[in-house]
Amino acid sequence: MHRILVVDDEQAIRTMLQDFFEDTYAITTAASGAEALALLDREDFDMVISDINMPGLKGPELLWMIKERKPGIKTMLMTAYNVDDYIRMAKEYNISNIIPKTVPFNYDEVGALVDGILTERVFGLERYLLPEGVVENEYRITSSDDGTRVREELASIITEKFGSVTDIKLIMDEIITNAIYHAPVGKDGAPKYREYAPVRLEESEHVFVKWGHDAEKYGISIVDNQGRLSMETVLYKIDRHTRGEGMLDDSGRGIHMSRLFADRMIINIKAGVKTEVIIMNYFSHTYRGYRPLYINEL
Amino acid sequence: MVVTAAVLAVVAILLVVALVIVTVRYRQALAQRRRGLNRDTRFPERLAPDIEEKIRLSKKQLETTLDAIADYICVISPEFRIIRVNRSYADHVGKSVRDVLGEQCYRAFLDRGEPCADCPARITFENGASARKSNVTKRVGNEQRVYEVETYSVSGGGAQIVNVIERIRDVTDERRMNEQLMRSEKLASIGIMTAGIAHEMNNPLSGISGTAVNLLKMPAKYGLNEKGLERMTMILECAARATMIMKDLLRFSQKQDMVRMPTDMAALIPKAASSVHIPGTSRITRIYDFPEDLPRVRCDPSKIEQVIVNVITNATQAILEKRRSSGNASADEEKIHVAARHDGNEVRIDIEDNGIGIPADMASKIFDPFFTTRSPGEGTGLGLSICHRIVEEHQGRMSAGTKEGLTTISIILPVGTDPWNDAEEREHTRESRDRDA
Repeated sequence: MHRILVVDDEQAIRTMLQDFFEDTYAITTAASGAEALALLDREDFDMVISDINMPGLKGPELLWMIKERKPGIKTMLMTAYNVDDYIRMAKEYNISNIIPKTVPFNYDEVGALVDGILTERVFGLERYLLPEGVVENEYRITSSDDGTRVREELASIITEKFGSVTDIKLIMDEIITNAIYHAPVGKDGAPKYREYAPVRLEESEHVFVKWGHDAEKYGISIVDNQGRLSMETVLYKIDRHTRGEGMLDDSGRGIHMSRLFADRMIINIKAGVKTEVIIMNYFSHTYRGYRPLYINEL
Repeated sequence: MVVTAAVLAVVAILLVVALVIVTVRYRQALAQRRRGLNRDTRFPERLAPDIEEKIRLSKKQLETTLDAIADYICVISPEFRIIRVNRSYADHVGKSVRDVLGEQCYRAFLDRGEPCADCPARITFENGASARKSNVTKRVGNEQRVYEVETYSVSGGGAQIVNVIERIRDVTDERRMNEQLMRSEKLASIGIMTAGIAHEMNNPLSGISGTAVNLLKMPAKYGLNEKGLERMTMILECAARATMIMKDLLRFSQKQDMVRMPTDMAALIPKAASSVHIPGTSRITRIYDFPEDLPRVRCDPSKIEQVIVNVITNATQAILEKRRSSGNASADEEKIHVAARHDGNEVRIDIEDNGIGIPADMASKIFDPFFTTRSPGEGTGLGLSICHRIVEEHQGRMSAGTKEGLTTISIILPVGTDPWNDAEEREHTRESRDRDA
């Protein structure tokens, strides 16, 4: 059983997380950063989930100190505040995951993420759908024409099933374009294909798209087998645009807007091997409007 | 300026007081003399010519001083009849000085049939103290203006108040500026506070609802019976409702991101255009064509500026592209023509360029994300789709067309309500602002 340390100054939050996860994980709780550090001196944990805004040591500082002492430990932050306000901090403290304290707390979402991070199995749309969720279609994109065809087909399917999709079309355009034109590089490390030029991809450059849904949301996953993106780059780009510094420049605007327009965006990276972007939109308002930060770099 | 005017006004008022006292005393003396009761040697039967001359000169000085003052000044009798006014006053009420004299001040200035309920002149007449009324309003043209009235007493020989001097100041513009400043500061702080509270509430709410979910999902673990489950559902519903309120509050506070204010397009557009720096643009002539009476548009200026920058950038690149394709020897004068016009309740901005153009079959696609005519590296084509979104957020429209070598992007924005153009609207806006938000 994996051992998880939950740090939060709000007792109700500590208790509810313990109650929910204690059958799956060995949960220990701490009410402050200092208490957490003391516990870490005595015991080993596989993961620390910490609140950001606590009296005394703040979450990011705590995780930084923990990672210095025990580099292999997995970490996550959670907040009741606006995640956007913490992007700069995430960049500075190398934070990859900030989960929002939704109302009600989304145990399924957090459970899927915690499990993925602990087991290092983060890839795959299925992991983030509820147990009864289904993956409906899978596509393999082998050329730029294919890219256009898949985007249009998916847009029309989703429009038909779930209503207006202006935003999801924009997001797909951005991410599929990235996967086709930005992922493959030549020997010199420069992009291999000219953006928007008609291209036929080599087999290793094929892009895989699938979409699925469960009772509360639908999701799209876009995978390339290049793994060129890094957490550092993603944070840099999101940070710049969130602060309005990149208003007139194109670099990273797509990824920022995808995060802005989608209810959830999960970026999974295995350097040099695979990049997956998962976009999910909820059907009801309950879990909308939180914009968490989910980047998993293996 | 304001200080100088105030000093002038005070000097003028002192002069009026002095003159009125002298005049009143003089008349009293004459009356006494006529009744044969004159014991006062200071006022002989006939004034020495040099004294009369001095009084005339003093009167002249006073009149000139009064006329030089922009505030409206009048001297009234206990019956509220105007016995003296300055030029500004007469001009303001649209009459000659002669016609104003003898009129009741409330009729002349406010077109009322009787004195105002809390008339400061009445107070001054009653107890001699200066008084002030700061929210006197009246409609001038189609605009509601606000005045501040101050009154000063002029007493005769005894304690009796013979006249009151009214000084009326138009404070409309000053108020507007102050109110706008206060409103933006207040809104900003309310926004910050609201966001803080809403997020702070999110923490306990998350705990309440998360715990309730646990109890509902695992009743056995907590020894919960049917009745307990029912109550837990109630708790969860209450938490959900509280969260909805919090989300609404957050939306309200986030509205600060989209600040809408009456914006002068004739000022915004050239400013936005001047921020477009692309090498080779110095040869391109920018022509602006804005009518004098273009109404201000209620919009988020920084967002609309972003739209204009994007469209002008596109127009500039289209011209440069044409220049390149014609071997740098374009016959036509390269120009971007920006025209705005008022059409019903909308302002239409047409940005026209004689660049490379959009093929007719593409015109409908240019607002789609990632549509671009540019070479790789010059743009992802997201620009116009973002512009479109921004314009739609303003309940506006955007369209494009190419005709005879001219490409036009049109941005149509509703004028919206300019709260300062219409006082009733202003009241309405004030009342409904919270509701709207």
